[in-house]
Amino acid sequence: MLTLEAVTKRFGGLTAVRAVSLEVRAGDLLGIIGPNGAGKTTLFNVIAGYYRPEEGRVRFEGRDVTGLPPHAIARLGLTRTFQIVKPFGNLSVADNVMIGALTRLPRVAHARAEAERVIDLCGLGPHRYARARALPIALRKRLEVARALATRPRLLLLDEVMAGLNPTELVGIVDLVRRVHAEGVTLIVIEHVMAAMMRLAQRIVMLHHGEKIAEGTPQEIAHDRRVIDAYLGDEFNLAEA
Amino acid sequence: MSRLAPDRWAAVAMFAVAALTPLVVRDAFLLDSVILILLWGALSAAWNVAGGYAGQVSLGHAAFFGIGAYAAALMSARYAQSPWLGLAVGVALSVVAGALIGYLSNRLKGPYFALSTIAFAEVLKIVASRWRGFTSGSEGVPVPYRPGFWTLGLGHVAWLYLILVVAVGCYALQVYLERSRVGYQLAGVREDEDAAEALGIATRRRKVQAIVLSAAMTSACGSLWAQYVGFVDPSHVFSIDLSVRFALNSIIGGIGTALGPFLGSLLITSLETYLRATFSGVEASFTGIYLIIYGVVLILIVRFAPDGLTGIAGRFWAWRARAHA
Repeated sequence: MLTLEAVTKRFGGLTAVRAVSLEVRAGDLLGIIGPNGAGKTTLFNVIAGYYRPEEGRVRFEGRDVTGLPPHAIARLGLTRTFQIVKPFGNLSVADNVMIGALTRLPRVAHARAEAERVIDLCGLGPHRYARARALPIALRKRLEVARALATRPRLLLLDEVMAGLNPTELVGIVDLVRRVHAEGVTLIVIEHVMAAMMRLAQRIVMLHHGEKIAEGTPQEIAHDRRVIDAYLGDEFNLAEA
Repeated sequence: MSRLAPDRWAAVAMFAVAALTPLVVRDAFLLDSVILILLWGALSAAWNVAGGYAGQVSLGHAAFFGIGAYAAALMSARYAQSPWLGLAVGVALSVVAGALIGYLSNRLKGPYFALSTIAFAEVLKIVASRWRGFTSGSEGVPVPYRPGFWTLGLGHVAWLYLILVVAVGCYALQVYLERSRVGYQLAGVREDEDAAEALGIATRRRKVQAIVLSAAMTSACGSLWAQYVGFVDPSHVFSIDLSVRFALNSIIGGIGTALGPFLGSLLITSLETYLRATFSGVEASFTGIYLIIYGVVLILIVRFAPDGLTGIAGRFWAWRARAHA
């Protein structure tokens, strides 16, 4: 579904992503982990069209999307959420989600109906008339997901939708991510919350200094020496997580 | 449909009062005031399409106003053709100019975008002042008065109804923007361009479209203004004062709302007309005092109602609804 071929992204002298290759199949739930500054978000920006890579190609469903603008890629069915949430602050939750739905459904009435469905799926029903900027962070994270879902993506990139949430909120969003995946959306998830990641992801990729240093099932990753040294630390215990 | 929202009622009432004025009074000064309120309102609504709905805050809309004004004035003064033809030419030129400036300043945001638009209007001002053979330079162009609709030589009452139609048209266009797909997408662009892109919105194209539409509306109103006032000169029609005025009316009335530009124009235009009429005749030393009062009112509004008059009204309505509940 998504193929990265030796993608490299540089900012001046800094190589943020170095020759990363990746293969994502339809129905996958792929996790990306790595320390701060490892290039995870940069990789998302390259895939979604926000950055043009210096080297390498990005293919989505067999089509070369390298260098396409983000909106064109979103229309092909590949979109993303933002780590630092970007709600349309002055608009209601319902309008936020509807603007996403308008991409597939040009009629406002149809988009409105679709938005209602997505709002309920994401548990935002009681807040549909609230101004987006008035929402607490946990709900704004949900709004990010809802708005992206309304564009009916086949591949969705979730950038730290769990960061900054309390344990109760965490359970809720993990449940939401599962439901989205169950609806048939292929997911790539960036997350620091290892406990959640280990249970959610079918496969995990570890980035370090812009390079892919490991890839495998959660079990394999948890026991990988390089991953433990660079990121997890010796105290990490999969059973406890 | 459900009941009309209060702001829609206010607009209907305002346009109805304007339509009824000539039936009650024939005083030229009063009719002139109503015409100017409507015309500045329409111009501010045109600005609001780009500045309010799409978030492209321009301080150079005098460029499009001036293009429209000169196109109409030169068409009737120099070529003895109908100013309507001039209006059409002005709109075409403004569409090109709007697309150009929209395209060139596409990556600029906020104050940088505003600065680039100012520069654009200034360039046109210089061109109009120096190109003496064509525009008569800074002397300006007097517009010949030839009675008739086709030549736009109209009396006050006819002007009032013509401008009323234009104002209602501009209002209706804004209402359409509030409820249509394009309008929602522009709101997304205004609120966050990156997020809008992620949702499949071609943000750059949408921004240019908003500026082009806004430019065309501004230009058409500029043409009508030239015919109504009867004189065009570069230092006025391309001035930043005009650009600021379009923006201020919208901001004071309520930016990004359909009613806002007209409310702002109602307040500012009538205030200005009244103060000017009251103080200019009294004594020579009072001539400038209206500017001081005008400035104080602006400061008060921006200080106490940054979301404009429609914002105050909205809060009042919400408070009343709670009190009744």
